[in-house]
Amino acid sequence: MSVLTLRLAGPLQSWGSSSRFTRRATETMPTKSGIIGLLAAAQGRRRSDEIEDLLHLELAVRTEQQGVLLRDFHTAHHLVKGTSMPLTDRFYWSDAVFTAHIGGPRPVLEGLGEALRDPAYPLYLGRRSCVPEGRMVLAIEDHPVAESVRSLGWQAGHSARRKARRHKQGSVRLVVQADQSVYDDGDTMVEAAPTRELNDVPLSFDPERRLYRSRLVVETIVTVPTGVEVDAVDAPAAHDPMAVLGGAS
Amino acid sequence: MTTYVEIHALQNLPPSNVNRDDSGTPKTATYGGVTRSRVSSQSWKKAIREDFNRDLDPKEVGTRSRQLVAEIAKVIGTERPDLEDHAETLAVSAMEAAGFKKPVPQKRGKAQVGTPETGYLVFMSQRQIEALARAAIEASAETDPLRAMRLAKVKDLVDADHSIDIALFGRMVADSTDLNVDAACQVSHALSVHEAVPEYDFYTAVDDAKSRDTEVEDSGAGMMGTVGFVSSTLYRYAAVNVDQLRVNLGHEDAVAKAIGAFLSSFIKAMPTGKQNSFASATRPTAVLVTVASGQPTNLVGAFEEPVRAKGGYMRPAVAALAKHAEEAFEAWRTPDLALAQGLRSEIEPLADVAEPVSLDDLITRTVAKALESV
Repeated sequence: MSVLTLRLAGPLQSWGSSSRFTRRATETMPTKSGIIGLLAAAQGRRRSDEIEDLLHLELAVRTEQQGVLLRDFHTAHHLVKGTSMPLTDRFYWSDAVFTAHIGGPRPVLEGLGEALRDPAYPLYLGRRSCVPEGRMVLAIEDHPVAESVRSLGWQAGHSARRKARRHKQGSVRLVVQADQSVYDDGDTMVEAAPTRELNDVPLSFDPERRLYRSRLVVETIVTVPTGVEVDAVDAPAAHDPMAVLGGAS
Repeated sequence: MTTYVEIHALQNLPPSNVNRDDSGTPKTATYGGVTRSRVSSQSWKKAIREDFNRDLDPKEVGTRSRQLVAEIAKVIGTERPDLEDHAETLAVSAMEAAGFKKPVPQKRGKAQVGTPETGYLVFMSQRQIEALARAAIEASAETDPLRAMRLAKVKDLVDADHSIDIALFGRMVADSTDLNVDAACQVSHALSVHEAVPEYDFYTAVDDAKSRDTEVEDSGAGMMGTVGFVSSTLYRYAAVNVDQLRVNLGHEDAVAKAIGAFLSSFIKAMPTGKQNSFASATRPTAVLVTVASGQPTNLVGAFEEPVRAKGGYMRPAVAALAKHAEEAFEAWRTPDLALAQGLRSEIEPLADVAEPVSLDDLITRTVAKALESV
């Protein structure tokens, strides 16, 4: 089992899973349908092509930097008649950075990495106008996804790092949302009870027959070092409730 | 290797409100921890699309013929060989339903021979021919295909835009998803390279009749209000997937015209929001165009750290863009062609990564390079 890590960053991104009609919301983190769509587009699959093999990949996403929720008031007019279409509100995360940890056999991941570096269709982060910025493919490592979300360095942008320096934060707590199977190999460090159900597993992107099914995800928090030097004096005094009984063993 | 033509632009906007939200305030976004002014992708894409359609003569990119019945019948016969015998009749009905006078077989002497023709030259794009054929196939099961096609508003299929416009900008039809076309271009939201916070202009409007009336002693305004505005130096980005355009359009000179017109419209077009109040139609000061096989590279990361004014925002912005482009090309892939265009003194920093050229050369050379790829 290997892991392909991707950095999903850009001024705007939006990951929808359950919106209806004129209010297009975004989930807090990238969805499986969004990531699979990205991979399929890179490989040159048309919307009506099969994507079943991509569904075998494991996925975990980590929030490096949540950003700010943005509501875009979006109007549209019929190109010929000029009549107004219903007014819409579309939500985006602005200034967000996420990482996706995709688990599967190494040859498959290497092919995906190559495709992402040379995509057949343009890549976007949830919506077509959300062009990704900077480096997307980070690495392919030979360890499980659960290990990847713990060990990957913090990928936040300059302003978040400056804030960490200012607040003398030696580490940050980042949210991770993963397929249940990511924690199924008897990892005792994490409670593998699912915390949410998302309707974002794409069975078909065919415009005439779009189909999704739901999956259960496990949400956890991992602590990742920021790289900021913190003196012992500055560190907040740890509260040890066992001290009165002679310290924790 | 897929070929992408990318265009990056740095453009100054004076106090203006070209794109506002439902509260009338110029749109914004957060990036690099600070508020930036924003012009939405859809707003600028519409302006580009309208300029594009004005520039491009639709007649340059379709079939002009009297024999469209034969063309439509051919498509019907290929898609549904079982309907081949009725293909011609269905095609005639399709043309009638589309609003043309019923095509009749061409007369030669006393005998009526050949396929029906329209009495005059009709212009239609390949997409429209195929769309009519598909509509005819769908209606073929009905007892009265002509009536069925009229009810299905087949007329709208030929009323709409020509194929280059759709191939580049896409089409979405909720009722008939088979008419959907994925756009070959991708336009990102334009963001200011610096922190920009909208301001408000307090205005009063004089009531002319009241102020002329010497008897009424009321010097108050007729109306008061505020209008939001912001001034910014925007970074804009768009990419065109040349291979997809080729697949959508079918022939090389349509692709050439599409790319050329898109570049020209991207540079010239401006959204029309509050133009009468602010007259903010400007052109980009600096444009960078690349043609690369694979790896589209959005350079907005150059401005994640907001630019601080140093003799204005434009100069440090061009320098930041040039530096970021150089490092991005080095890190990932050097494009096959990189050209810079704009105000001569302002685009100097870009000379490190791109060749400064005139606007005409920018377009001709980019199109030529894009078409070189197989």
